[in-house]
Amino acid sequence: MRTVGRPLLCALTALALIATTLAAPIGAPAQSRLRVLATLPDLWAITRAIVGNLGEVQVATRPGQNPHDLEIRPSQFVLVRRAEILVRNGLDEDAWIDPIIESSGNPRLLRGAPSVVEAARGLTVLKIRTGPIDRSMGDVHPSGNPHFTLDPGTLPVVTANIVAGLARLHPDLAEQLDANRRAFLDEVAAATRRWSDALAPHRGAPLVSYHDSWPYFYQAFGLEELGVIEDRPGVPPSPQHLVALIRQMRARRAKVVLVESWYPSDTATAVARAAGARVLVLPQSPGAVKGTDTYIAHLDFLVTSLARALME
Amino acid sequence: MRTHECRPLALLVVLSISILTGPAHAQDAGALRRELEALRRQFATVTESYEKRLRALGDRLQQLEGRAAPAVPSPVPSAPPPTTPMTATATATATAPAADAPTLADLARPRQPFALAQPGRVLLFDIGVSGDFVTDFTSPTRERRHDGTFAGRENRLFPREVELEFFGRVDPYASAVVRISAGEEPTRGASSSRELSVRLDEANATLLTLPLGTTARFGLMRPRFGTLNTVHQDDLPQVDRPNVLARFFGEEELDGERGIEAFWILPFSTYHELSVGVFDGDNETAFGRGSLRDPLLIGRWRTFFELQELGGLQLDVSAATGSTADDHRNTVIGVGAKYKWIGAGSGFPVLTLAAEGLGGFRGVDTDSGGAAHVERWGAYAYAQYDVNRRWAAGLRGDWTELPVERGREWALSPYVQFKPSEFLRFRLQYKHTEGRGAVERSAEELFLQGSFILGAHPTERF
Repeated sequence: MRTVGRPLLCALTALALIATTLAAPIGAPAQSRLRVLATLPDLWAITRAIVGNLGEVQVATRPGQNPHDLEIRPSQFVLVRRAEILVRNGLDEDAWIDPIIESSGNPRLLRGAPSVVEAARGLTVLKIRTGPIDRSMGDVHPSGNPHFTLDPGTLPVVTANIVAGLARLHPDLAEQLDANRRAFLDEVAAATRRWSDALAPHRGAPLVSYHDSWPYFYQAFGLEELGVIEDRPGVPPSPQHLVALIRQMRARRAKVVLVESWYPSDTATAVARAAGARVLVLPQSPGAVKGTDTYIAHLDFLVTSLARALME
Repeated sequence: MRTHECRPLALLVVLSISILTGPAHAQDAGALRRELEALRRQFATVTESYEKRLRALGDRLQQLEGRAAPAVPSPVPSAPPPTTPMTATATATATAPAADAPTLADLARPRQPFALAQPGRVLLFDIGVSGDFVTDFTSPTRERRHDGTFAGRENRLFPREVELEFFGRVDPYASAVVRISAGEEPTRGASSSRELSVRLDEANATLLTLPLGTTARFGLMRPRFGTLNTVHQDDLPQVDRPNVLARFFGEEELDGERGIEAFWILPFSTYHELSVGVFDGDNETAFGRGSLRDPLLIGRWRTFFELQELGGLQLDVSAATGSTADDHRNTVIGVGAKYKWIGAGSGFPVLTLAAEGLGGFRGVDTDSGGAAHVERWGAYAYAQYDVNRRWAAGLRGDWTELPVERGREWALSPYVQFKPSEFLRFRLQYKHTEGRGAVERSAEELFLQGSFILGAHPTERF
């Protein structure tokens, strides 16, 4: 056993030294009363606006990271372990959080618990699939399109869900949270008028995107979805589909192809070139571009970039 | 009874008519008498008709009260017409039990065991199926000696593992997973076998709401040991499991252990996971005693450092100690490291560097009938570069000693991977192996692998 113990002890000691050097004990900031974890950057930005200085809001994914095929990282277990409230999308865009929660030793965040906020509850969800659904359609979202925060009109419902969830655990903060929410919604309303004005000259403009990320955005600003390059989510498009799409784009004189920054732009570039349009790479989440880590700054960036592209 | 009650009514009517027709006596008594007689006949007819109807109703009431159970019409499946004529009595006898007991046709009719995605119905757990098919092209010598990487299955396309997995929440306090797999068993040193064997790989429940941040699972499971041992066959980074794992734990792997395991995410700012498990010890190669009286104990400490744009680094240290089938103490320790860098934007390219080393310390029988202590080591390292979502290439190097016999081997395996989608994957891998001692050989092998996933599957991990 002496022979066994020596290498084991050496290995354990080495790992312990590295770990204790790099690790610091969790010290929840004394003034932080709320410890919130948002699964996605858009929910993080919105929740942060509501929480303000009443607590800390963490996010489980990096800005600009594709949430559709996310790989679980051990650091996410630590975030889940520390959080007391979870804000999740509610339409399975962040279903990867469930196995993390189940292995994190924090049962308060298990789906259905009072500490879990489903942001989409009560929203009118777009593109809910009907009829049989199978993988020949790609990696579809059976519950409907989950990119609802791109429509500022959904925020009254989304923020109401978040405030209700936070206040459920901290009733003493309900009034402050609601005041923060109202102030945030006022800012968003003012910004929405600005965004609508910027895109008003392009109302009805036909747009094509790589992934089906924009139906709420189109709806909010009166734009038309002409088509989606990736007609089956997660599966590269077939040449036949691309040919039909290019023909349609030419007929309707579509000017812009939107590409989410986490998707490769080569196919979109080829389609745009063939159809006489241009590619516009846009971040899908706040924080992916420097200076856009608030909801309003993010939408500002999207609207300004698109208006400029449609103008050219 | 009701018949008698009607007679006074008839007399009353006759009397009333008599009173009403009284003034007619003065005019023509004869005519009135005839008229009265006609009326009497009419009333007699009405009375008789009433009595008949009342009697019929009484009989029907008695029949209904006399039955034990109401005759509820039951949907009888359309059966083929009888081949022999049946009498009226026989038909009545045969059809009467149909209301209470299933007929032959009922029993013969195929039934749906459960409903999948029917409108308004939800299946309360996930089902996934994965298929993993491998071909090992090698020389006729390797095929004859059955000493290829996939012993006994050289130069054939074989189902390494077809897996049916059920997983989901049991209740608010627990989740569970059941995995059943079928595949061709290895037949090292024996004639090749093409028989498929089905086995229960995993069946365990995880308790999620224990105090002190404890998560525990019990049942049949793949224990938390090392870096790659916890990875299922179809999720391995290369076609075959690294030599050191295959030698130290056999092709059955350190899998399907029965016992209890608890783990904790420690309360630090960085990730530290500590797990401890107590098992029967059913691995024939390393821990074959198979009894809780001398259990297999496994512990692992895993940590992870988030290096942001520089990637992530995972380190783990594991130890397992138990009794071998010939009742000697065997301790295996493992140290693993995995680094991954992911490109910004689209998440590609991805660079993965990983290495894992195992040390085995076990007692063995000597030729002289005594016992000796052997110390063996082995390791592997690989690098993989994912060019984009579809294409990846890598190289793995193996070096290991045999856990009991004298001998060692090294191998080099370049490979390329193509994934048309998240659910379909193909691999081509070349492997050159040089063995000395008990595994003296020089082997060239070419693996082809095709894997698919049907339905639900767990999210990929770092």
